Amino acid sequence: MPEKWIYWFDEVSTTDNDLVGKKCANLGEMTRLGMRVPPGFAISVDGYERFMAESGAGEEIRRYVSDKADLLQTVNGQIEVGRVIRKFIESKPLPEMMKEELFSYYDELCRRSGLEDMAVAVRSSGAVSMPGQMETYLNVKGKEEVARKVIQVWGSAFTTRAIAFRIENNMVMEKAPIGVAVLKMVNAKCAGVCLTVLPTTGDTSKIVVEGNWGLGESVVSGEITPDQFIVDKACGDFQCSIGKKTKMVCYGPLGTRVADVPTEVQTQPCLTPDELEEICRIAKNVEAHFNAPQDTEWVVDSDLPFPENIFWVQTRPAKYAKKKADDAEYLADLMARIFKM
Amino acid sequence: MKVYDVVPGLEFDPERDLAQSPAWFLDGTHSVPPWTPMFGWFWINFCRHGMQYGAEKLSLPTVKGWDWRFHNGGGYLTLLLVKSEEEKQRREEKFKRAILPLIQDYDGIWNGFVKEILGRYEELKRLDLDTATNVELLDNFEQTINTCRRMWEIHMYMMYGTYTAYILFENMCRELAGIDDTSPLFHNIVSGFDNKVFQVDKRLWEFSRRAVSDGLAPVFTDSEAPDIKGKLLTSDNGRVFMKDFNEFMNEDGWRMQRMSEINLPTWVEDPTPALGMVKQFILKGGSFNLDEERQKRSSDRQAAEKEVLAKVPVEQRGWFEQLMRLAQKSGIFSEEHDHYLDLYTHAMMRRSALGLGKRFVQAGALDNQEDVFFLIPDEIRRAGINPDQFDLRYIVERRRNDWLEWQKTPNPPAVLAEGFDLDQAMGVLVKSNDPIALKVVVGSMPQVRPELKADLYGSCGSPGVAEGIARVILNEDELHLVKEKDILVAASTSPSWTPVFSMISGVVVDRGASLSHAAIVGREYGIPVVMNVFEGTTKIKSGQRIKVDANLGTVYILDK
Repeated sequence: MPEKWIYWFDEVSTTDNDLVGKKCANLGEMTRLGMRVPPGFAISVDGYERFMAESGAGEEIRRYVSDKADLLQTVNGQIEVGRVIRKFIESKPLPEMMKEELFSYYDELCRRSGLEDMAVAVRSSGAVSMPGQMETYLNVKGKEEVARKVIQVWGSAFTTRAIAFRIENNMVMEKAPIGVAVLKMVNAKCAGVCLTVLPTTGDTSKIVVEGNWGLGESVVSGEITPDQFIVDKACGDFQCSIGKKTKMVCYGPLGTRVADVPTEVQTQPCLTPDELEEICRIAKNVEAHFNAPQDTEWVVDSDLPFPENIFWVQTRPAKYAKKKADDAEYLADLMARIFKM
Repeated sequence: MKVYDVVPGLEFDPERDLAQSPAWFLDGTHSVPPWTPMFGWFWINFCRHGMQYGAEKLSLPTVKGWDWRFHNGGGYLTLLLVKSEEEKQRREEKFKRAILPLIQDYDGIWNGFVKEILGRYEELKRLDLDTATNVELLDNFEQTINTCRRMWEIHMYMMYGTYTAYILFENMCRELAGIDDTSPLFHNIVSGFDNKVFQVDKRLWEFSRRAVSDGLAPVFTDSEAPDIKGKLLTSDNGRVFMKDFNEFMNEDGWRMQRMSEINLPTWVEDPTPALGMVKQFILKGGSFNLDEERQKRSSDRQAAEKEVLAKVPVEQRGWFEQLMRLAQKSGIFSEEHDHYLDLYTHAMMRRSALGLGKRFVQAGALDNQEDVFFLIPDEIRRAGINPDQFDLRYIVERRRNDWLEWQKTPNPPAVLAEGFDLDQAMGVLVKSNDPIALKVVVGSMPQVRPELKADLYGSCGSPGVAEGIARVILNEDELHLVKEKDILVAASTSPSWTPVFSMISGVVVDRGASLSHAAIVGREYGIPVVMNVFEGTTKIKSGQRIKVDANLGTVYILDK
């Protein structure tokens, strides 16, 4: 097992998918593409393996599941097994050597940002698609708390669905190809998504940007009507519909909470034209790099000056409706119809 | 003494032809005043061929192009309708495939055609008419015939395809955005584009600036147009100017004052009309106002596009926008094709025919070079290689007499079978769904709204309101009478009229639809155009003060 199990984002790229998981590899790749990614580091799957070995949790799990084959055939059994395994994992402290290394990276991250006990997000980063590995902890402060959340992310590899997945696929129970991303929380003025295609029509000549005040969670969850900007890739012209944004997600003392948006800014666009233009510019570059429409997530920091205030936390191939058979054929059909009037 | 028909096989024969179709319409835009025999022969044969070729290539579901007949110098047309439902369906299936290339690569196809036809013109011009042998001259004429035939194929294939897209766009604007082709918003979408005709006008304007900076302005302003060239050639400055001007004429001067005739000199032969326009630009002064106007049009257009797109449901915007781009090309095509196709080909016909005419005069077969326009190709072939063996003057004499007769009595606007009236005939045109008939010939009928108390009612070709002195112009020769800020009143306009649009403040035309010349150019210059008033040239007198409100489609005569 390699000694190194923590990497700065700029040390990894998409080729390190198996090492640090998709999210981290993606964040690494994004830094290479000139997307400003919140500073942070990746914990590789070796970190998980080492924790399981050195803490004894791996052995405990093996022993525990050795006679649970029958129990694991039932849903209730899977729920029970998952609960026990997560308890095994979360009850183990991070081994001293690992703790030292993790703390040194966190301290260095705080030092680089000039903040003490800086708030970070701790996110899971699976190397293969496995359901349930979605755990994300926002606004985590202080090294002990960071260590605890990293372990919780590892534990999240044992949700009921993830256990069912292992059984269906004949995977060893204690294995989990899971990495963790630890990155600075952006003090979000607003956040949202940017797709370089209209998902409903497959029109690739347009970009759609959606955003709300505060953190991006409110936009992704679809609970509020965000601002929507549809931008022409060629000329940069845009049409916007400004939503009445009554709620937003922001930091609580720990984690996040839903807050009311002050009335006077509810119907104000959350992005300035400059910010919108910059978001589209970078999204177009990324799309060109991958040669495929992208689905990205952005955050605008409220403290930093433009354009350093624009951060990216995600880019992946966009899912969209394939263009209607073919617009040209559709038009030909319509043209045929005018001879019938 | 037997003189052949002017267009053998296609002379109008009331008995037979009215049995074939109960309504034949005079092409008033192109064949008034009556054509010379040679021009009529070319038009009737090949415009007819081109329309049927275009309709067939595109497999238009309901119409197979137009049939044409020649009658006393006039072109009469009727539609060739698809007869059975079963055939309509078969043609429709084929149409959907045939129209695809135009949808997918409009520019590629049009640019390819322009390149092809310009290549043919270059080939024709390569022959030095004065030193060529008779065989070469005759061969050049035969190639010209083929070029004209090919020109009409390109012309009508493009025109049918383009107008089909345009009509669909109009319908979709009505359906999805609630605006029609007389709405100012619609006009803003389809204007704001450059085209070859405007580029030529801009070159003329540039020459006007140069004349001023070279100190030649007085030569222009103090002389009548026909004297300008002679006076320029008396000074060094002027000779250099004329040298460059001739070069420009050799590139872009292959056109005649009347678009559909060949008996007037081209600008290459006689640059008087072009120099006259330079003079008008000098008198007017200032910048080339089309540039400023275009910038404004262009930003208006973008705003209008946004406004209309916003009304279209998001999931329909993809194809709607593609259709909008196609429709926008219609206006460009409508203007440019006149330059690259009709005008240039007709100039080539004139050039080649005059080459033979000159040889015929030298050999004694004709008295005057231009008498060749009273002959048709079969008669030219008779004497082509050995003109010294033939006397064609008797044919010319008789044909000229006929032609002079034609000028005296106007051709009737329609020839109808007994018991068939004009309303029924127009109904057939509309029912054919022929895109060209709808967009250029029929137009939208004016709505008479008595509450507006207007003197004339028409439809909006280009939005706006203007008041000024009416200038009724019945043919191009009178264009120099137009003064700054006048309101032009005409039966219809053609590309050679374009330059006066930079001076006038409004236009009233008797006939026209949204893709007629006056509408397209009016929109580019941002001046109001009221069309389809039918009686503008008869009711309005030059010098009267009139007000046009294109938005309402009304014309008011202020001092009756």
